[in-house]
Amino acid sequence: MNGFVQGDPMLCIGCRTCMIGCVVAHEGLRIFEIDPDGYDFHPRLKVVKTYNVSVPVQCKHCENPACMAVCKSGAISRIDGAVSIDRALCIGCKSCAEACPFGAVEMVTLGGVLNADGSPKATANKCDLCKDVPGGPTCLRVCPTAALRLVTQENMGETIRLKRLGALEAALSQES
Amino acid sequence: MPSEFGLFVSADPGKCSGCKACELACFQSHHVKRNKVGLTVGTVAVPVTPKLYVTVMETASMPIQCKHCENAPCKAVCKQFAISRADGVVIVDEKKCIGCKDCLMACPFGAVSLLPYFVDGRPVPQADSDEGKVAAAKCDLCFEDTAGPACVRACPNEALHLTDVDADRKRKNIAAAEALAVINAGVPERGLL
Amino acid sequence: MTIIAIDQNLCTGCKECSKVCPTLAIEGYPHQPQTIAESRCVMCGQCVQKCKSYVSVAEHGAEAYERVRSERGLPESVKEPLFAAYNVCRLNEVKAALADPDKFTLVQCAPAVRMAIAEDFGYPLGTLAAGKLAAALRRIGFNKVYDANFGADVTIMEEGSELIDRVTNKGLLPMFTSCCPAWVRYVETKHPDLRNHLSSTKSPQQIEGALMKTYGAKITKTPAEKIYVVSVMPCTCKQFESSRPEMSDSGGRDVDVVMTTRELAWLIKDLGIDFAALPDEGFDKPLGDYSGAAGIFGVTGGVMEAALRTGYELLTGEAIPAVDIAAVRGTDGFRTAEVPVGQLKLKVGIVTGLKNVEPVMEELKAGRLNDYHFIEVMTCPEGCVTGGGQPKLLVDLDLPEAYRARAAATYSHDKELPVRKSHENPSVKKLYDDFLKKPLGKESHKLLHTTYAGDPKHH
Repeated sequence: MNGFVQGDPMLCIGCRTCMIGCVVAHEGLRIFEIDPDGYDFHPRLKVVKTYNVSVPVQCKHCENPACMAVCKSGAISRIDGAVSIDRALCIGCKSCAEACPFGAVEMVTLGGVLNADGSPKATANKCDLCKDVPGGPTCLRVCPTAALRLVTQENMGETIRLKRLGALEAALSQES
Repeated sequence: MPSEFGLFVSADPGKCSGCKACELACFQSHHVKRNKVGLTVGTVAVPVTPKLYVTVMETASMPIQCKHCENAPCKAVCKQFAISRADGVVIVDEKKCIGCKDCLMACPFGAVSLLPYFVDGRPVPQADSDEGKVAAAKCDLCFEDTAGPACVRACPNEALHLTDVDADRKRKNIAAAEALAVINAGVPERGLL
Repeated sequence: MTIIAIDQNLCTGCKECSKVCPTLAIEGYPHQPQTIAESRCVMCGQCVQKCKSYVSVAEHGAEAYERVRSERGLPESVKEPLFAAYNVCRLNEVKAALADPDKFTLVQCAPAVRMAIAEDFGYPLGTLAAGKLAAALRRIGFNKVYDANFGADVTIMEEGSELIDRVTNKGLLPMFTSCCPAWVRYVETKHPDLRNHLSSTKSPQQIEGALMKTYGAKITKTPAEKIYVVSVMPCTCKQFESSRPEMSDSGGRDVDVVMTTRELAWLIKDLGIDFAALPDEGFDKPLGDYSGAAGIFGVTGGVMEAALRTGYELLTGEAIPAVDIAAVRGTDGFRTAEVPVGQLKLKVGIVTGLKNVEPVMEELKAGRLNDYHFIEVMTCPEGCVTGGGQPKLLVDLDLPEAYRARAAATYSHDKELPVRKSHENPSVKKLYDDFLKKPLGKESHKLLHTTYAGDPKHH
């Protein structure tokens, strides 16, 4: 199973530190010390604030990814359990963004990168589980309220086992 | 505010009946001025050349049309500069097209066809023969029509809609965020916090 | 004889046609080519109007168009898109007759043709072109340019008299109109036990045809066997009607061949006639003389209104207070009205769109329509102006405007005509004085009335 990062609206305070951490991790730049126009601010998760909740939304790394199914340019693949986008191959057709039911794929324009015809290069952008970042997903490491967790095959299995035990205990308590 | 990224028409194969009303509406709207096409079939004196292509399989159908890619491969390969991209719309200039077919090969969706090129009810002649010219034909989002894409309006089954992925993403983000409240409520160890 | 067909190589199986087919005669799985169950098809041609699956350069190749055009026997001048659903074209027969020096060609046009034919020459929807139509037919080379509208006026004389006869002599009521051949076919196949409710009066096309070959032969001093009658109709089913064996009371076939409004447009283009440059001309007298009442046959409620204008005056002997009878106009699928005619309150109904007739038939069978006198039924959505042979819209979003504009043109044409009641048409009066003697008379019965499948005297 692919792992994924899940936010908890009860813990999230909406500070957007995760978004900044994501950009720092992927750009590899000390962004607070350089010209704000000198780098791309394209976080791969979005803190969403509604009347009811504030929580980051990002890719679930689906087992049967809809984005990957519709991609005709071969730019989306699963690498080490992370559904990832190869920016060099992306033609900006937006099909993946349309296909994702969570809105986890965002179209972004890359500053300073040009297509062969001189037009600015755009690409689909989404969480890659920090597959190239030492220490794993940055967002959950920088969250001040520990509102993000990495769901893995192991801890998800444990969570479900606990739920089943809880359901069994509830049934037993009714019998006694 | 207009979207930073190109809009495109997408189709729902679950609703499409394969009737080609979209193709005819597309053709009609693009040839009123160019080939004096009126409202009835009898006013047509040129081949029907649509800019989207209904594709039928044994159990399903839908029109295939241009996604107006941000890094459009068709535009990238056109050596005649016949394909341009303005305000998020990728447009073919038939006058410049020499029929090299590179854009047809480059498009991963098959959204481009090579079709007869008629003006004023007559084929535009080739340099060396009576055979009329052909030109690349693909969706231009009816950019000249203030009412928007003719295909969307003409579909009897509401299978077509104009998609703005950025606006859609925001809507879907909100739904996903609201869902996370329900998802987290079902995690047992959270109660210990 | 095939009238309506679906090309199996072109049909994408969208089934949009089956949504407009009033008799559910179109069969097939989705995304597979469809077929027509001829036992149920009433040949109304609404599927022909609906079909958008055209011969495509992109999909079927460069040669496909010419192949399909020649398979269907269409003139080489035809350039417009050809579709999977089509009606069989008989223009070649028309052209052969025109070229035959031994044939004396007479043509007649249905009321609705003049409200729509200009559309195929780029004019706005619902442009009235009666004058250009007559001029075009003359340029084509017809020996006489007559008009089914005259036949419509005679229809009113016969059908109106039949209604009065049924009402006063306690005949079978309600009486149904019989102008629409698809409706007649529907009754014969689906409700044969109700066929005696149909008026025995022939349709305007067949009345005009029978008169052209008899009265017309007399006044043009031409032997009937040399006369060749061509109809121009908004209707694909009229070819079927004209081919019915009983429609030959003049000796031979009363109407030899039928072309649709669209096919006439093809013929005009094929002969290089500049439609826009044509002057306004009139139809030839006497068999092309018509009243406003005949002109409105093409819209739903029109036959009823025309019948009421004449019936009122024949029954009461007084002038009708208002010639425009708004109570029977409209576009609802089933409308009813009560019209005072002297002592009598005439209860009438109008059905438009054959899919709306089945509930009415149920009511009739249940005995709940026994107090009705007269019911008009038209198969096409809003009468003949919306017929299967009319100019076809490229985009169906324009259909409501086409329907509205053609009906509006019909009513304004009626208003501008000097004579607006069938019985006041001077040529109709002369026809009865010189030839038929009186409505429902001996000659009328021979030429202008018919029988239906199942009747004892039927062919």
